[in-house]
Amino acid sequence: MTPPLPGDRTDGPRSPLTVPLLTAVLAALAVAAAVFAGPEPARGALAVTGTVAGLLLCAAVTVADRAVASARAARTRLDTVTEDLGRLLKEQNRLTEEHTAELARLTEERTAERARLTEEHTATTDRLTEEHTATTDRLTEEHAAHVARLDARLREAESARAAALSATANAAGRMQALATGMLADLRAMEDKHHDEEVLADLLHLDHRTAQAGRLADSVAVLTGARSGRRWARPIAMESILRGAMGRIGGYQRVRAHSASDTAVAGHAAEGVMHALAELLDNAANFSPPTAEVHVYVEEVPSGIIVSVEDSGLVMSDVQLRRAERAVSGESTDLGGLTGTRLGLAVVGRLARRYGLKVSYRPSARGGTSALMLIPQELLVTTGASAPESTGTAPAATSSATTARAGEATATTATAPAGEATTTPATTATAATAAIAARTAPAIPSEEPAAAAARAADRPAPPAEPTAEPTSAGLPRRRSSRTKPAPAAPDHRHDPVPEHESAAPDGEAPPLVLPRRRRGRTLADAERTWSAGRTADPRPAPTAEETRARTARFSSFRRAVRPTTAAPTGDDAPARPATAPTAPTADDVRAGRDTDTPPAAQNNPTTPEGDTTS
Amino acid sequence: MSRPGRDDAPDRLYTLTQGRSRSGPDNPFDLVTLVVAECAPVTGMQSEHAAILRITESPTAVVEIAAELELPVSIVRILLSDLLAAGRVSARHPRTSAVYDPDILEQVLVGLRNL
Repeated sequence: MTPPLPGDRTDGPRSPLTVPLLTAVLAALAVAAAVFAGPEPARGALAVTGTVAGLLLCAAVTVADRAVASARAARTRLDTVTEDLGRLLKEQNRLTEEHTAELARLTEERTAERARLTEEHTATTDRLTEEHTATTDRLTEEHAAHVARLDARLREAESARAAALSATANAAGRMQALATGMLADLRAMEDKHHDEEVLADLLHLDHRTAQAGRLADSVAVLTGARSGRRWARPIAMESILRGAMGRIGGYQRVRAHSASDTAVAGHAAEGVMHALAELLDNAANFSPPTAEVHVYVEEVPSGIIVSVEDSGLVMSDVQLRRAERAVSGESTDLGGLTGTRLGLAVVGRLARRYGLKVSYRPSARGGTSALMLIPQELLVTTGASAPESTGTAPAATSSATTARAGEATATTATAPAGEATTTPATTATAATAAIAARTAPAIPSEEPAAAAARAADRPAPPAEPTAEPTSAGLPRRRSSRTKPAPAAPDHRHDPVPEHESAAPDGEAPPLVLPRRRRGRTLADAERTWSAGRTADPRPAPTAEETRARTARFSSFRRAVRPTTAAPTGDDAPARPATAPTAPTADDVRAGRDTDTPPAAQNNPTTPEGDTTS
Repeated sequence: MSRPGRDDAPDRLYTLTQGRSRSGPDNPFDLVTLVVAECAPVTGMQSEHAAILRITESPTAVVEIAAELELPVSIVRILLSDLLAAGRVSARHPRTSAVYDPDILEQVLVGLRNL
């Protein structure tokens, strides 16, 4: 039930009571009137019925009155609700309008804001992009400038390094040349001075110079220059060891144990000697000053192992590894050099260049042992040295039966070759004759002039044709073909080292008979005598003259040396054996006189000085 | 002096004698002392020693040995004294009478002139 509205309450409490009461009054009057007006007998019934009807009427009137009141209240409430509804609808419309307006406003604002932000964003993006581009350009330019500068500095450094290296190499080469020349001078002086005091001093200087030469060699090796000296013939192992010993300070503590007859090929001999000298120097420096350093030579199938054993400090594993790495020659940069420890780096370079293998291990003597493997391809067996000399000689033509006679003829055969390159035409003809005589069996079609031209081009053509047809079949070394005059095969090899600064081919070969000082003395005496008699080259003497001369010479020798006359069986046949080639030898000797280096003429290092002192 | 590069061997003279350059005071060798080998060269010898023993199979003067080896006489004397101390060579002085015979000297002079 809805609550009664205020308009309904004005007559509500009056009407429900007044209307039934009025009705009840009227009904009671009507009933009382009917009862009085009606017959007497029916009055009772009439009263009861009239009362009941009056009660019923009152009830009906009450109900009707209530219904009318309710209907009126309901109608009033309905009007009120209708009014509220209209009001609410109006309110709703208003709110909707407001909402729409608000929405539109917000949308506008949002759009504006968005546009603004978009603009700002675009602007910022553009600005940042520009800044970025500018910065990138600047950095790129700076980077390019840096790179260019670094590039320039790198180029500068590299060119400076190359210049320094080449200057150092050049200086080292000159020092090598100086040392080599000084060593040769000292050796000449040692031959010249026989006073023991002077000799001792000269040997001392010799030793110092040899060490200086080794230092120059080391610098040359480190700077990549080639070794200063090249030996023209294989160097025997003993000489290799002694050559290495001679270049270090403590050579007197080195004990060499070598029974090997192997030799190292000439082109590698200097490198092997140098590497060995460095190993020896290390061993001598890092062992007590009184301890000996032992060098053993062992032949193995892959070559020769030279082991240098000291009894000094034992190297630790780290030191061993470092030394092994240094001598392996893997790194060729100069960065790791310390200035005082050049030796192992030099060994490494040399090992790399010549294929040597150097390793370290603890020595049984208590110190360290350095092993150097000289590969087989660098080795030459010197067992062939004696047959080689006979093989080089054209043994078939002469009656030479001994090896020494064969060497003598070989000397005459090879001597003119070098001579022809330096002497003018007068001796060239003699040389041509000799060459023609040698090469005629092998190259019959060639004219003497062509042979002379060949001789001028190549120093030792005669050795080639004579080398091939040798029936001995022994292996022969190439280098032996160019060496001027083989020394005695069993001792005191006489290799002629070629020096870079000297013209190797232009030099006159050693004396024609270098093996015999006595013969050389005689030759020089004869030369001075004949030079005083005739200035121009003598004509070639005939074979008879030569034979007679040789016979005189032999009798002279017998007279001078009565005690040795009988046993010199090896000397006596040698002289007649050279008779067929002696004219050539004489010519060559006469030709040499015009070309003899001044050193041999005007200073007393000539052989006369030796024998007369 | 000789030209650079004409040095003859890689081994220096002081290495031949282990640094000695003076022979002892009682060294019996002079230039004309005759040396005779007492034994054959054996393997492992210094090559100069072996060469001396080969040269002196017949008696040879010291100066000739030096010329043959192309070594200074002082060095050869040290080498020879080593060999002498080891008993591998013996030394004796040559007879001098024949050398001073004037006839022979004259013959030598004539022979030299005729050469």
